[in-house]
Amino acid sequence: MRDLVQNVYQAKDTDSILNLLDQYQDEAKIVAGGTDLIIQMREGNVSPPVLIDISSILEIREIKEEKNTIELGSTATFTDIEKHVFFNHSLSAIAKAARSIGSPQIRNRATVGGNICNASPAADMLPPLLAMDAMVVLKSKQQTRVLPLSEFITGKEETLLKSNELLEKIRFQKLNPNEGLGFSKLGVRNALAIARLSLAVYVEWDENDMCQNVRIASGALGIKAQREWDVERFMKGKCLNNSLFAEVAAFLEESTMKRLAGRSTMNFKRYAVQGVFKQALDEALEDMERRMIYEKGSF
Amino acid sequence: MRKAVFNVNNKEYTVEIEEDLRLLDLIRNTLNLTGTKEGCGEGECGACSVLMDGEVVNSCLVLAFQAEGKKIETIENLDREDGTLHPIQQAFLEEGAIQCGFCTPGMVLSAKALLDKNPAPSKHDIRESISGNLCRCTGYNKIAEAIEKAAETLEKEESDSGTARRGTK
Ligand code: FES
Ligand code: FES
Repeated sequence: MRDLVQNVYQAKDTDSILNLLDQYQDEAKIVAGGTDLIIQMREGNVSPPVLIDISSILEIREIKEEKNTIELGSTATFTDIEKHVFFNHSLSAIAKAARSIGSPQIRNRATVGGNICNASPAADMLPPLLAMDAMVVLKSKQQTRVLPLSEFITGKEETLLKSNELLEKIRFQKLNPNEGLGFSKLGVRNALAIARLSLAVYVEWDENDMCQNVRIASGALGIKAQREWDVERFMKGKCLNNSLFAEVAAFLEESTMKRLAGRSTMNFKRYAVQGVFKQALDEALEDMERRMIYEKGSF
Repeated sequence: MRKAVFNVNNKEYTVEIEEDLRLLDLIRNTLNLTGTKEGCGEGECGACSVLMDGEVVNSCLVLAFQAEGKKIETIENLDREDGTLHPIQQAFLEEGAIQCGFCTPGMVLSAKALLDKNPAPSKHDIRESISGNLCRCTGYNKIAEAIEKAAETLEKEESDSGTARRGTK
């Protein structure tokens, strides 16, 4: 690995990142927190000739709350997210996901953009962002593209990021009072947990307890963090009661068995997924209730 | 090789470094500040913890060039000008929170990062603050007690002295 890195740059603003990427293309690798990349470099899995550090650029670290949307700068750290007022008060499932990652040392460095671009199947931030139907804003010197996060992540550690592109920010809609988000994760250890299984559930419920809309995303339940479209289709338009819950749990068990067939974790995860789902769903419903109470109170 | 300037423990160092040098190696090998330890080398153990702009980070997972322009603080910066130990260090000694001592520099810096921001932490805050530091000797209880004690000492110093700053040289 020695001698292989020839040039390093500590970028000072977004334009200078884009210029460097344009100049070096495939040769360059972006490093933000470095918590994944430095390990990969030492293991000899990647050996970029050029490194561009973007961790000191404040303009892409900002968490911006607009009237209807939230914009998460790609170099916002998990500590930034975990401590942010909006996530603590209005979307606690995301703060919870951030808090569940690594240790304080890791959370101080690891960024949401890194979590997305490395696209580990077990990346903790992906399920809640997928369940929020988040969009990624990708910038190159020539153009800006906006893609759904679910399309951006194509496989295990694979994304649609081009070699001259920077993931600038992540954007999603704020929730209405009849919507809620929940996140639940099963980790091996609390301090340094790498998710072994996580689920995020977004729900929109009407006053007759009918599920108007639902988005479910999983981590470590396949080759990538992903939306569970089949389960969503199954739930939509149904009434929430214990029998629906039992049906969904059975559905999840079956699809987990199919997807993980032949893997040693299958027998554990087919049961675990049901409990994790229940927790995430309960949390989403609590979240929705909180939001309704808050809304009423503010009239 | 690259010429770079670092601010470590309030001192400026101008040194030649390899592009892919880790902050940990800069501190230990280039600057000879060997109080910072290397355990796992992959972000699991916290033995390599240092403060970067006041935040605790694993120096094995930061490249040295990323730390240019930042303020780095290592365990060597903690004792006071008169040569006495920092209250966190003193409390670790008094509470028996040190056995082999390998985890101690990292533990002390994690505790400092906590107490600098939160002078009256709960027991939960304390445990959370050292959750990225592994200790294979003490069983953690004594470490948590030492941090609690240090918080009290620092609070008392603060109220006793009024204007005199706690903290470091
Ligand atoms: S040596 Fe850095 S975390 Fe273990
Ligand atoms: S005292 Fe030995 S590892 Fe903590």
